[in-house]
Amino acid sequence: MRKFFARHRLKLVITILGFGLVVVALAGLVRPAAASPTPVPVQNPFQAPGGAPDNAACLYCHEKPGMTRTLPSGDTLTLTIDSSHFAGSAHQDIACSECHSNIDTFPHPDLQVQTSREFSMQMYTVCQKCHEEQYNKTLDSVHMRAVAAGNTNAAICTDCHNPHTQPVITGQNGALLPVTRLGIPETCARCHSAIYDTYKQSVHGAALTQEGNTDVPTCIDCHGVHNIVDPTTNAFRLQSPQICAKCHTDPTIMDKYGIPTQVLNTYVADFHGTTVTLFEKTTPDQATNKPVCFDCHGVHDIKRVDDPVYGLQMKQNILLVCQRCHLDATTNFPDAWMSHYIPSPTHYPIVYYVNLFYKFFIPAVIGSMGIFVISDLARRLIERRKGAKHV
Amino acid sequence: MSEKKTVKKQTRPTKQPLRLYERFHWTQRVEHVLLLTSFSILGITGLPQKFSTTGWAQAMIQFFGGIETTRLIHHVCAIVLMFLAIYHILDIGYKIFVHRTRLSMLPGIQDLKDALQAFVYNLGLTKKRPQMGRYTFEEKAEYWALIWGTVIMGFTGFMMWNPITTARFLPGEIIPASKAAHGGEALLAVMAIVVWHMYGVHLKRFNKAMFTGRQTEEEMLHEHPLELADIKAGIAGRPVDLKTLRKRKAIYYPVASVVAIAMLFGVYGFISSEKTAITTLLPISNPVPIYVPQTPTPIPTTAASAVPSGSLTWDASIGVLFQSKCAMCHNATLPTNGLSLDSYANAMRGASDGPVIVPGDAHNSKLVVIQSAGGHPGQLSPYEVELVNNWINTGALEK
Repeated sequence: MRKFFARHRLKLVITILGFGLVVVALAGLVRPAAASPTPVPVQNPFQAPGGAPDNAACLYCHEKPGMTRTLPSGDTLTLTIDSSHFAGSAHQDIACSECHSNIDTFPHPDLQVQTSREFSMQMYTVCQKCHEEQYNKTLDSVHMRAVAAGNTNAAICTDCHNPHTQPVITGQNGALLPVTRLGIPETCARCHSAIYDTYKQSVHGAALTQEGNTDVPTCIDCHGVHNIVDPTTNAFRLQSPQICAKCHTDPTIMDKYGIPTQVLNTYVADFHGTTVTLFEKTTPDQATNKPVCFDCHGVHDIKRVDDPVYGLQMKQNILLVCQRCHLDATTNFPDAWMSHYIPSPTHYPIVYYVNLFYKFFIPAVIGSMGIFVISDLARRLIERRKGAKHV
Repeated sequence: MSEKKTVKKQTRPTKQPLRLYERFHWTQRVEHVLLLTSFSILGITGLPQKFSTTGWAQAMIQFFGGIETTRLIHHVCAIVLMFLAIYHILDIGYKIFVHRTRLSMLPGIQDLKDALQAFVYNLGLTKKRPQMGRYTFEEKAEYWALIWGTVIMGFTGFMMWNPITTARFLPGEIIPASKAAHGGEALLAVMAIVVWHMYGVHLKRFNKAMFTGRQTEEEMLHEHPLELADIKAGIAGRPVDLKTLRKRKAIYYPVASVVAIAMLFGVYGFISSEKTAITTLLPISNPVPIYVPQTPTPIPTTAASAVPSGSLTWDASIGVLFQSKCAMCHNATLPTNGLSLDSYANAMRGASDGPVIVPGDAHNSKLVVIQSAGGHPGQLSPYEVELVNNWINTGALEK
């Protein structure tokens, strides 16, 4: 026996190992089936056989009109999904259960909310699953700060983007579609309707809402999107000229309307603009009453400068603007500001000729001095080489 | 430098007294220090303001503590310069009226000739250097450039400091024009100091007379030969007798006091006559309330009941209702909780834990109980529940 073992030890070991492997492999094959819960006797209505989302199952109920639920606060939560809108939305290929991940059984778990707003506040965080970049941007926004401070009226993702109807808003190049831009102010107007009413009257808002002109700024062009900052801060005020300058120094937009693009340079060259620009660079949180673009031109009520009633081209209008800060300003005073003109023989000629004078006077004086100094230095060097004293 | 040292070394051992001539009184030297200090600070705080869009200017402004501090420093130095100007006027007046000092700083044709001759000499076209008096044409050029510059800077500075007052009497355009002139003149002044003054008194020979107040005879002979001749001839500074001196002072002091007070009032007005702008933050010009929600987004109105308005039987109405609202989950293929509501027979059989419809007794029918509680996924409207209720109470008939 010992002999047999000794002779066939290797074969034996291989055989035992082989058996072991087969057993382990079989156990491995069997285990998942054994570990899974008792198979449900019927097909899960929320899962198609292939595992793909079966939104039809959800929509079977949820597309029925008038499905609502009354919450304890008395709010009515609409449960109907308009499948025709959903089918055309950006999310048409997303399974309902991607967002409504707590619903995988029927009957559905109870809603633990008192109000429909509370329900939205519970739901919107799921957006970050796919839209992490945008979601993270909102965390610093004025809206999310308000939410964090307990203001549930502040906008969350779903207030601007109805997840069930949100259409695709960007084109091939990633830029917003013109039709999307046209609709932006209306989205913001849901909460900021008074501002929207003002905006519609402005040169920009009128062009957008009446002419469908998408060259003009919508809300997000100035306020940003997702990371919308508080526009009442000192920092926003100091940065604001750059916001206007984005378009107003761009000849591809401005040339269409004959608007000069030197508006930023001329502003920065003046006392007010110099101060604001330096504050922005050195102390970005500095409070200042030095005017920025919107102090004179308006915020949401920006008018054309040649507006027959409010236009700043009219001296009495600009004087009124000056007098907001310069209480004692009189009729001549507004000309202390060159109205975005670069001095020329026709506009602000005194300034033009003063500049012209120094353009020639400085080189003439300093040049003459330089010539004399060089001649003197040369003479001294020559004399010194000759050994002269006192050169 | 080395030459001078050898001069000293030679003179000291022999104990020969080195003849020194007073060139600048100590008050003039103090004046000069104050002037160079205020001028330099005005320059280094002013030029960054002129070139404020450049990086170096912004770095300097930040170094001074921001644009407002930079302007404050600039203004303080401007005030120092104004006081200095007043003192200088009074001092010159005193010298002219009380001591009848020669107006040696006045420029004349001779200075033009001297300048030309110096240039010709430098070019090597003549061997003769110009012979000059107490103030050379170089010094006069600089002095009068300073006077001209200070006057321009004073006027343009006033107009920028007091734009509202200025615009009362002059066109508003004069204020940006002042700024242009102030900047141009500043550039001219600083460059002139660098080219003319630095070369004239530091580079070509470090002339310490403005700090020591004295010059040696040798220096006098070389630079101010005509003045030296006048001193030696005893006609440079003729002393005034005490009686006349007292008489003149008695006239000059009161007059100078009045002038001084007037000028000081001028400076006071310069600084504080005008409150140019408010110092508080701007109120929002046209305030609009921020949060004004539109009428809440309209909720789709509850659709008309799917119940056909037939008689209260399974076939006529209830079956259709259950088919549309319940059979999605309660059907023969998927009898949730064992309940199927897609046919009359299935409905009457009930759920896995018993019937849900008790004909004639809606109150004890589980279907009605659950639906009446509300919140069921396939929730019937109150009207529909009422219909079902009535259907059961009337016997839950199929036909």
